[in-house]
Amino acid sequence: MFSNLAMAYVFIYVCLGLIAAGIILLFQMKIKHNAEQKEMERLKKKYHDYFVYVQTHLHGDITPELPPGKLTPAERRVIQAKFMEWIEQFKGDAREKLLRLCRDAGFVEADIRALSSLRKDRRIEAAYRLGGMRAEEAVPQLQHMMNRMKYGPMTIIIARAIAKSAVQSQQIREMLSKLLSYDKAIHHMAADILLETRLDSASLMRKLLDDPDPGLVKVSLVAMWGQAIPAVVPALGKLVGSEEKDVRAEAVKLYLSSNPALKDDTIEELMNDHAWEVRSAAAKALGRLHAAGSIPLLASALKDDNWYVRNHSAESLAMLGEQGFETLCQAALTGTGPARETALYRIERIMAKEGEHEQVEQMVAYNKRKLVYDRYFGVQPSKRIGTVAGVGGDYTA
Amino acid sequence: MVAIYYVMAVSALYFVILLFSFRNIRDIFRRANYSKYNTLSGSELVPSVSLLVPAYNEELTIAENVRCLMTLNYPTYEVIVINDGSSDDTLQVLIEEYGLTLLPNPELRGNIHTHKMRGIYYNPQYPQLYVIDKENGGKADSLNAGINLSRYPLISSIDADSLLEKDALIRMARMYMENPEETVAIGGDVRIANGCVIENGEVKDVSLPRRMWPMFQSIEYLKAFLGGRIGWSHLNGLIIVSGAFGMFRKDYVIAVGGYRGGYPGEDMNIIIKLHRYMLENKIKYRVSFCPEAVCWTQAPDSYNILSNQRKRWGRGNLKNMIENRNMLFNPKYKVMGLLTMPYNVIFEALNPYFRITGLLALLGYVMLDMTNWQVLVVFGLVNFLSGYLLSVGALILEEMAFRRYTKLSDLVKMLLFSALKFVGYHQLGVLWRVQGHIQYMQNNNSWGTMTRQSWKDKNEAA
Repeated sequence: MFSNLAMAYVFIYVCLGLIAAGIILLFQMKIKHNAEQKEMERLKKKYHDYFVYVQTHLHGDITPELPPGKLTPAERRVIQAKFMEWIEQFKGDAREKLLRLCRDAGFVEADIRALSSLRKDRRIEAAYRLGGMRAEEAVPQLQHMMNRMKYGPMTIIIARAIAKSAVQSQQIREMLSKLLSYDKAIHHMAADILLETRLDSASLMRKLLDDPDPGLVKVSLVAMWGQAIPAVVPALGKLVGSEEKDVRAEAVKLYLSSNPALKDDTIEELMNDHAWEVRSAAAKALGRLHAAGSIPLLASALKDDNWYVRNHSAESLAMLGEQGFETLCQAALTGTGPARETALYRIERIMAKEGEHEQVEQMVAYNKRKLVYDRYFGVQPSKRIGTVAGVGGDYTA
Repeated sequence: MVAIYYVMAVSALYFVILLFSFRNIRDIFRRANYSKYNTLSGSELVPSVSLLVPAYNEELTIAENVRCLMTLNYPTYEVIVINDGSSDDTLQVLIEEYGLTLLPNPELRGNIHTHKMRGIYYNPQYPQLYVIDKENGGKADSLNAGINLSRYPLISSIDADSLLEKDALIRMARMYMENPEETVAIGGDVRIANGCVIENGEVKDVSLPRRMWPMFQSIEYLKAFLGGRIGWSHLNGLIIVSGAFGMFRKDYVIAVGGYRGGYPGEDMNIIIKLHRYMLENKIKYRVSFCPEAVCWTQAPDSYNILSNQRKRWGRGNLKNMIENRNMLFNPKYKVMGLLTMPYNVIFEALNPYFRITGLLALLGYVMLDMTNWQVLVVFGLVNFLSGYLLSVGALILEEMAFRRYTKLSDLVKMLLFSALKFVGYHQLGVLWRVQGHIQYMQNNNSWGTMTRQSWKDKNEAA
């Protein structure tokens, strides 16, 4: 019993010691943080006039200068933070002036030195700030740092710093390859990082689309946000036939968004693709392209297993004039299952817009549809089918 | 002596988890501070999210909460409020506030079975807001109804009495985008809003609660979320993502059959089901915790409401453990089977019984020989000091990475209440858990009373 109690006493003493140390640490941290906060506020006030001076000269011929005298570390932090905030906001000459100020003040140099610090905190902070100051000279060191790191949130911070600072497309390519090498399917994150670059995006995208690495191709496709840059359309045309399902789907979406002239057999091929993403993108584009010849294809796509394909087909049919709308009405009246539900839903949405049209053309188009609707469903415009339409269990969304 | 060893063993385990939290806290601080969210929140590359907000008798807070959710810094999302057969004017308040009308022929994509839907309300002027009106079926049933209507690949469950920080969702999305294939769920940090100044559905000034019960809960949440969940998520052994704020991959939630209805503890249940599904199908996955994504919630501020809530938690926890007992010590379920589940059964579900029997045995021992009274004191001290040390650890984590409470007086108050928690509140927690277990045995499945105050009244009262 005694030895047991003795052990409990040791436990108590250890706990007491740790608690005392913890409380002291807590107070010390709190007082330090509050003091730092106060000092930062004071310095922000002190440099308020200086910031106004810099801001007024960002867009003029005069190059703003640094504040006179030697700056303390806290002052440097406040000024650097403000400059970095502005660098994100401004472009062109204003940004260049700010970048020059950061260099002249020695901020870039100091942070490059901090990249070799023994403390991880300082290294990461320096990397972040160097990215903020578009420090191209720091890129090799940042790349080295990234290559030595295990994948995690810090990798993303450094990758962003590289994307912001890089002045050669090869540096961006290497950074993206490294990011994708972790095999985490982070194409969207990589695309977001890619968009931080200062390089000409059209030529960078074109280079990446021609890259033998399908991962990089996918990143550039994703980075276009569903809107193709004209310069890359030829490269996209080639990728439409890619064997990689994801690449093909993204390429088709982008290619179709550029409003190309499509041959009938290309349309048929796309609408019969085994990837639903491709079928869906094609179905969505056909209405916008006014491809009236594709009405039969869209009508049969209303029976597709995939929710998106069905709905995009219905949407496109609704955009293809009276003939398209009539096809929808036929599907709603004579079709079965999801095809009928999808058509009905689309028709309901169109008919619900009565009285919302301001343009004469829109009113005429609506009235034509109304005539077709009445022919199929009778004159009462508010014929509703059921309360809640179940479109079936499709969870591809 | 077994009781003392039990307490020491629990504490040792807690300390190990706390150490993992300390190991990760600097990285959390860095990623929160050096990731700029303004570019991400305007980017089409961020995944779209459906926010599911089950509401039952929330007429006082629902308008403000929905307003808060409609103004998040996030590119593409929808808010689906599910009125779960409220007996008050929750639905009416929403209809009036947002000019909603009944959708004539709404489409549902999912087909998880739920109680009957009476209708779906919508106003094209607020294209991202949908309100489902359904018959009462409980929180899980409401979430399932929301899933059926949702359009996007990610869903986020949010309690109707909670307010999200503007960047909360984008912070979670960033974490998801770092590893989208493996991430099945992400939990947010839940903090107590009582005492904070709230304006236009936003926490403007952070302060500690002025009342005793919410203050104790404030400390409890800090300890559980920062001290516990960061560590558990590091081991991929997180057993719960708070129902108040979590994000999930919709395809996996559907694959496991959606939320389990009919019993409390659906937030723990869905996570256990996800672990089970991923491990049984040998799919690489992670359930993460994102402490920088913060949700502020109204804590119960009276004894009755709090005790009902805790009994419900106790009941839900026991039900989940019994339902999933085959995972216990089963190596097939890796960290979940070998660590999380045994820990939860031995040190959480059975905790009250070990402590009570230990205390009774010690009392008996001391009664037999009064000269051994110091054993009782030692037992009490071990209990108190180990618990207090964990609270201090959680406060250090808070100070290292988040610093939401800036005043020195807040720190003193938190340290004081961390100690006071062991005089009464802690023991009540044990009692409520036992009462929850008794309710489970008696098949008592009531939700208990839960009254709300509007955020305005709350500010004045807290």
